[in-house]
Amino acid sequence: MIVDCHTHWAQCFADRDGLDPAGWFRVPQQYGVTHAVMLPFTGLLHAGRIAQDNTDIAAVAKASHGRVLPFCTLNTWYRDEAISELTRCLDDLGCRGIKFHPWLQGQSVSTAVMDEICEVAADRGVPILFHDGTPPFSLPSQMAILAKRHPSVTIILGHCGMLEHWREAIEAMNSTENLWGCLCSPHPAAIRQLVRRCDASRLLWGSDYGFSFADMVGYRMEMLGAADISDELQNRLLAENPKRLFQL
Amino acid sequence: MNGEHMIIDCYCTIGDERETVQTSERLLQQMRASGVSRAVIAPQDREIAVRNRDGNDRMLSIASDHPAELVPACTANPWFGNDAVNEMQRSVRAGAKMLVLAPAVQGFMLSDDLTDDLLNEAGKIRLPVYVHTGPQSHSAPSQLALVAQKHQNTRFIMGHCGSTDHAWDMPSILHLKLPNLWFETSFVRPWVVTNYAAIAGDDRLIFGSSSPRNDLRMELTHLKKHWPVAEHPATYGQTLGDLLSEVIHDR
Repeated sequence: MIVDCHTHWAQCFADRDGLDPAGWFRVPQQYGVTHAVMLPFTGLLHAGRIAQDNTDIAAVAKASHGRVLPFCTLNTWYRDEAISELTRCLDDLGCRGIKFHPWLQGQSVSTAVMDEICEVAADRGVPILFHDGTPPFSLPSQMAILAKRHPSVTIILGHCGMLEHWREAIEAMNSTENLWGCLCSPHPAAIRQLVRRCDASRLLWGSDYGFSFADMVGYRMEMLGAADISDELQNRLLAENPKRLFQL
Repeated sequence: MNGEHMIIDCYCTIGDERETVQTSERLLQQMRASGVSRAVIAPQDREIAVRNRDGNDRMLSIASDHPAELVPACTANPWFGNDAVNEMQRSVRAGAKMLVLAPAVQGFMLSDDLTDDLLNEAGKIRLPVYVHTGPQSHSAPSQLALVAQKHQNTRFIMGHCGSTDHAWDMPSILHLKLPNLWFETSFVRPWVVTNYAAIAGDDRLIFGSSSPRNDLRMELTHLKKHWPVAEHPATYGQTLGDLLSEVIHDR
């Protein structure tokens, strides 16, 4: 089993394949990826398309026979609509988590609505994955403070601080037990440090594949390989940790 | 050599601490295994921030042991004022061929006029100025574009093209077609390089690996898949070679 914990479903795939994930999966399959956390893309760009994007990703997941784990997104500027959409995604669509891209969506993580969403996520046992690594809305420390306010929720740093904020991600994860990290974007030297200094049972791997046809899976897989971490540890990141998190 | 085309790596670090632990022997081994003929070597972060002279002397010494393969860069923290200008001039007289600025490490806002004297002097001696850019609020690609417009006689190399999230800004910056601004590819997603080149031209792009933060072989292998060396020799060495060859060392 290999789980890619950071992928997207972009409009280019829907235009080409409808809601059939077979074509989308061709690239990940080349690298042995068996399961993928699928995050929205169109819904991150256009608040008016959030509901449709959530619906589409759930349909793609359904057609994948369990290989795709669908995540939904929400517009926290409108509290009632956000909570209603979250309920629909969890109850009717079977979404396995929630995704926010705070700077792209223009949503702060430090709002009462985000707190309310965290309470629902805690109650339903689903994780929240955030884009991170970029100010002003997407710093690992901001996610850590949110996670400390909601210790029952699993919050995932979608990029472990990326190229510049990975040291901050280490501090954030080490100070916050319910904060996980997805190794998707830090360079190999940073990956080495993250794996060495963080709780390896809370680390995942992801490629960011799926917002275009580009083969990001091979690139990110090689980046992980270039970090020279043991096979046993790689297996934890690629398989055991996501298996435990998503009860696969 | 890669066929008939020389590959020059625009940015490597030789150091002994944090994430830039790499000996010159290790770098040379990686270069030879990857077909890279020359590499510009830069000081490590502590030297970039505060121990400028120590780092510059170390690069000059290492490069003097391997003059055909390693090209020394120097650094100077603009907060040192005239001392920074003097240190840059001293290093260039001793053989340095590129100035490295890292606003996030050195603690200044890229568009701050604190850098004016240093950048003006770099322009006079035709010293390329490599600037690390990224998602920090004080070294964004847009800021470097403004600085390049202000210092038109100074040549700038935009390290990392703001990777990753400032990739959104890059098309508009490339469209400016500033004659004194080049774009280095380390950490740029390899399949995006073709888009950048379509706007700016392959002679505005410069290959760099950021080894040892990054893996030289991996970075080069992926870039070559999307941007073959034989078709784009300017990106892989010609342009940088020209810039490095025009530095005035005896002013």
